[in-house]
Amino acid sequence: MSSRERVILTLNHEEPDRVPLDLGASFVTGMHVSSVYALRQALKLDPPGTPVKVIEPFQMLGEIKPDLCEALEVDIIGLNSKTTMFGFKNEDWKPWKLFDGTPLLVPGKMNTQPDSHGNVLMYPQGDHSVPPCALMPRDGFYFDALDRQQPIDWRELNVEDNLEEFGDISQEELLHFKDEADRLYKKTDKAVFASFGGTSFGDIALVPGLHLREPRGVRGVKEWYMCHVMRPDYILNVCDRQCEIALANLEKIHKVVGDKITAVFVSGTDFGTQRGPVLSNDSYRKLYKPFHSRVNKWIHEHTSWKTFIHSCGSIESLLKDFIEAGFEILNPVQTSARNMDPSLLKRKYGDGITFWGGGVDTQKTLPFDGSDQVRQQVHQRIRIFAPEGGFVFNTIHNVQPGVPVENLLTLYKAVKDFGSYPIR
Amino acid sequence: MIDLKKEAEILAKLRDVVVDMDYEGVSSACKEAIETGIPAYRAVSEGMAKGMEIVGEKYESSEYFLAELIMAGEIMKKGMKVLQPYFRSDEVRKKGKVVIGTVRRDLHDIGKNIFSSLLSAAGFEVMDFGVDVPAEKFVDAVRQYDPDIVAMSALLSTTMPEMENVIKALEDAKFREKVKVIIGGAPITREYAKKIGADFAAKNAVEGVNICNSWMSR
Repeated sequence: MSSRERVILTLNHEEPDRVPLDLGASFVTGMHVSSVYALRQALKLDPPGTPVKVIEPFQMLGEIKPDLCEALEVDIIGLNSKTTMFGFKNEDWKPWKLFDGTPLLVPGKMNTQPDSHGNVLMYPQGDHSVPPCALMPRDGFYFDALDRQQPIDWRELNVEDNLEEFGDISQEELLHFKDEADRLYKKTDKAVFASFGGTSFGDIALVPGLHLREPRGVRGVKEWYMCHVMRPDYILNVCDRQCEIALANLEKIHKVVGDKITAVFVSGTDFGTQRGPVLSNDSYRKLYKPFHSRVNKWIHEHTSWKTFIHSCGSIESLLKDFIEAGFEILNPVQTSARNMDPSLLKRKYGDGITFWGGGVDTQKTLPFDGSDQVRQQVHQRIRIFAPEGGFVFNTIHNVQPGVPVENLLTLYKAVKDFGSYPIR
Repeated sequence: MIDLKKEAEILAKLRDVVVDMDYEGVSSACKEAIETGIPAYRAVSEGMAKGMEIVGEKYESSEYFLAELIMAGEIMKKGMKVLQPYFRSDEVRKKGKVVIGTVRRDLHDIGKNIFSSLLSAAGFEVMDFGVDVPAEKFVDAVRQYDPDIVAMSALLSTTMPEMENVIKALEDAKFREKVKVIIGGAPITREYAKKIGADFAAKNAVEGVNICNSWMSR
């Protein structure tokens, strides 16, 4: 059975030969570059000191190369834009080092600069003539957005200000998606998981507009949440226009990639916190569900792609709405959050949604517990989520830095040991 | 002499601007309180703070969510800016003193800021040291300000261990017994608090304030 067949079967809620595995197909199912380096060294894939490419510089995610995919038996490969969240492309690689000494390669236009406290400043599109947009604290591992919110007059908001980043897809980007989809589909047997962009409504990681030199509108994290109370009409108007643009782009994209895509990343907005949803069901239904429904409806009517929603946190109360909105895949399945018990999720929602995640807890178990606990948890999660298909193994969100490499090796061995059907 | 009925109406208005999320109305409500002769500290403690209590209850019962908590905090801050010049030091009896910060290498502060606002509303004097606060800064703050409580926030499992460093630094400086330590943030659990010797791990800002209140009432 090919990887692609394996993934398609499970997404159709049928049992394949084994549980499919994702590592690195998206920027929410990957691994911090320092952990990628450690894993590659432990598997003796590289001589010591061989740098690893940073393919997503905001979270400092490392490239999962084909040799690592083969070693771990990864079934899914990602189709992503060449342009990073900071607006520069993944090209012209140059050496860089993390504070922990991990040797890296970063995009040529990643023109960071230290500040007087030893923190690292990132600039939109690598442009030092404008204020920095993000900061990696001294001894830190990734960047956080800096607050570039301009003073707001809540009565005088202009929708166009929050639409600067949404526009017609360029010919260059279309050609990239066309060529890459073709290459990945024909040259590999992996399921292709595409992140085309443009369809994530109210995604707090994207609201700051990290690639914009001078972002206008509502760009602060705090201000965006305040907008839900003060000006929900503004959010509706922004989402409505964003949705129009997204659907027009999806049509163009589908023309060039066709049905080579198995699943598409639609939404990355976090609707949950550790202990509860960010908003009420009523607010979700008013502000976001209409747009999710429109996008998913278009995808289902015109393509064979399965629709993927990423939402961290405690979101059990929203799951019925997500399924009604047309989502077929849920990620990361944060079982450490309140009311997200794996057995309850599988029992209540397993018929309606595929769990793409939930494989092992990355807040506590993977980084801080022993390898025995990691192995035990992987086994338990497979036993809960895998029966009757509807399960793609992934850690709960990206693997963080500082995970003992023994735990990483144990994790992926456990997936192989316990992932064959029938599940025992 | 303030008309008692008028005073009660204005205090209720101050409470309601917070509960009803009236960001535009808070400044005028605070100005009206001052012009009517209501002392600034009462405008807070019997007006806006009562509103914050209700917001906290609504959050606990899932009627209000994160956006409402953030809004309430911002409304309090806006109101406090109007009232600040009118506080008399002899009127202000603070319940306790709290030093608060997000730990080193962590820049996340939404939860911490909500907690700070709720603490201020509850009558605490809050010294907020912001984000990326190293252990030595917490120790210096205890030395300088003699707080009752040290509060730490961390969102990331990679920065959580800094909390243990802070507690160790407090012990080394012989300050640990002088303060209560409360911790919070997404990866923080009661077990973790016990492991590192913190006094409590709050599951949210509202619970955190309740615990701080209980410590001060002993």
